[in-house]
Amino acid sequence: MRDLGHVRRRVAVVKVAYYSPLPPSRSGIADYSALLLPALRERIDVVIAEQGKRAPDADIALYHVGNDPDAHGWIVDALQKRRGVVVLHEYVLHHLIAGITIGRRNGRAYLEAMERELGVAGRLLGLGVLDNLLPLLWETQPERFPLSGVVLDAADGLVVHSSYVAQRARDAGYQGRLWRIPHPAWPIAPVEPAGNVVGDPLIGCFGFLNMNKRIPQLLEAFAAFRRGRPGARLLLAGGSGERFDVERRLERLGLTDGVIRMDYVPEERMWSLMAACDVLVNLRYPTMGETSGSVIRALSLGRPLIVSDVGWFSELPGDAVLKIPVDEYEVATLEAALALAVEHGPQLGAAARAYVEREHSLPKVADAYVAALEVAAGGDVVDDAVLLRIAEAAHEVGIDDVGALARAAIESGIVG
Amino acid sequence: MAEDLVRALRERDHEAELVTVPFKWYPGTRVLDQAFLWRLVDLTESDGRPIDRVIATKFPAYCVRHPNKVAWVLHQFRQAYDYDRTELGQFSESPEDRATRRAIERLDRVALGEARRVFATSRNVADRLQRFNGIDAELLPHPPQTLDYRTAEPEGYVLSVNRLDRAKRIDLLIEAAKAEPSLRVVIAGEGPDRARLEALAVGLNSRVEFTGRVDDAQLVDLYARSLAVYYAPIDEDFGMVPYEAFLSAKPVITAYDAGGPLEIVRDRETGLVVAPDAAALAEACAYLGEHVDEVKAWGLAGRSIAECVTWDTCVDALLS
Repeated sequence: MRDLGHVRRRVAVVKVAYYSPLPPSRSGIADYSALLLPALRERIDVVIAEQGKRAPDADIALYHVGNDPDAHGWIVDALQKRRGVVVLHEYVLHHLIAGITIGRRNGRAYLEAMERELGVAGRLLGLGVLDNLLPLLWETQPERFPLSGVVLDAADGLVVHSSYVAQRARDAGYQGRLWRIPHPAWPIAPVEPAGNVVGDPLIGCFGFLNMNKRIPQLLEAFAAFRRGRPGARLLLAGGSGERFDVERRLERLGLTDGVIRMDYVPEERMWSLMAACDVLVNLRYPTMGETSGSVIRALSLGRPLIVSDVGWFSELPGDAVLKIPVDEYEVATLEAALALAVEHGPQLGAAARAYVEREHSLPKVADAYVAALEVAAGGDVVDDAVLLRIAEAAHEVGIDDVGALARAAIESGIVG
Repeated sequence: MAEDLVRALRERDHEAELVTVPFKWYPGTRVLDQAFLWRLVDLTESDGRPIDRVIATKFPAYCVRHPNKVAWVLHQFRQAYDYDRTELGQFSESPEDRATRRAIERLDRVALGEARRVFATSRNVADRLQRFNGIDAELLPHPPQTLDYRTAEPEGYVLSVNRLDRAKRIDLLIEAAKAEPSLRVVIAGEGPDRARLEALAVGLNSRVEFTGRVDDAQLVDLYARSLAVYYAPIDEDFGMVPYEAFLSAKPVITAYDAGGPLEIVRDRETGLVVAPDAAALAEACAYLGEHVDEVKAWGLAGRSIAECVTWDTCVDALLS
């Protein structure tokens, strides 16, 4: 704030009850909150809600919701007791909802969630799951049954990171306040590239490895790429699912000496490894409407980046990332993109860094949160006061249908 | 300014009318009612004839709807922006006040976002539109009020022409007079801070004179005979006073945090730019009193700048 004289003493500030997993919980949302919270606390009064403890008193509650029932189940429980603003980190919440319904032996609630989404057909599908007649939908095709309605119904306001999720929420019938706030970027500290991983070029892929990350397609494209660049190496850093045997796939593609394999790497090491890569790859399909912390990190580092052309990833600027359509040419396109990214690395990297500084700066994101929370906390009172006076004035001159007036007030932004 | 614009349009054979609504911005959410009032005004036609263009100059007038609206922003509702959380602000920390402030932000984004073009009368205003609302505005300063400006030999006093309120920092000039025994001050204008300022000037004998409100002829005369003009409000949007001073060939003393005036008051070229404290101001006034040749040269340099800002330029831009 600029110095414009004596700052009025704060007698009270909007107080926010903050619900989120936090470190040492190993989740992207915990990392997100660890990044956001200090900036938010500089601007607004925040009290952290803790699992198993009494809900804190506050003007407004902010609930971070992701798809992991262990990390977010208690948060949805709190939301259902007290409405508030929901940060929807991913749109598909089937795993979460299954966890807090079936996982708690409350099959009826699962059926209700399915019915809310798909009507009677949903209830029947749910019954099929409960009776073991159908495969578990949250494992086989969660993107077809997002079940986010359970959360949307309790939200007084919605924060999303992408237009994609915003549109899906609106399509699902959510009519409340909605703010699109970009994922904040981590402050860029000088990063020393890791010296013990080399490749000419070195391609990096970070995060949990599974089919959704298109690892089979990446391995196939990399194998083809490496035939023309025998010095190329692929660094795969991240844990893998039980049913996804990376090593066997590497053997089959003759890539055992072309791939450097690492399990979960701590934050600092990850930055250093990413900085050592010439190109980073972060593919995704199907998308759960999620934003990727890894992608934001890669962009912050100014590394050339290849992503799938889906969901939030499609909204990234074309001059900063290469986007691969998920179609029958995916592998061939990816192979060509690897060559292109190596060739135009500096330009792509510079555009990526500029984009992150412009759109994802932490102060800007924190300001946007404060704006949203202030409106959520006091907006209804303001809207009611203004609309009441408009209605009274209209009524006094014999206008009883104030719908048009209210619409004009909403359309102009006078009421939110 | 609005009346001058209407006159300038008519002089160029356009039909123009000034539309005004009294503005009451308190208490609480009343400011939004006033904005809504403008929203309901239908300016698309008058007497069955289409109105080709609406030029809106300030909040909440620029909330008016029109397919050919041009905003020439003199100022936003600053209590919701840079004045917020200062003693010049209006909104408390209550959720209701915070949300009201956000509603004004939202309203500005809609109202200015729908304008065909957005002009700002100063760089300061343009920067604020960009910083708070993400709106790019074109710079279009306006000329000062049309008077028969003239110059005369300086009679040694420093002139303040301004509304007497705290944000104008006229108290600094009185404090400077206390610090510099050779300094004479004439303060023209009225306002809520007058009693406090007069109390502050007690004991300075006749070295600080309050004229109250003055007519056009008196104003021109005060400018003409002054040594220099003091104008250093806090982060002012635009400020006509420097232009009026320059058209009277007088230099301007301002402060480096005065905002808009800094766009034309250049240190040791058209005036002096000093720290916003009485000692620095006293020193600047004393310097001018001892260097009348520089006073005249800087005043003339200012005049050549002010003469470039004309109604022809403004009208062309607003109607283009």
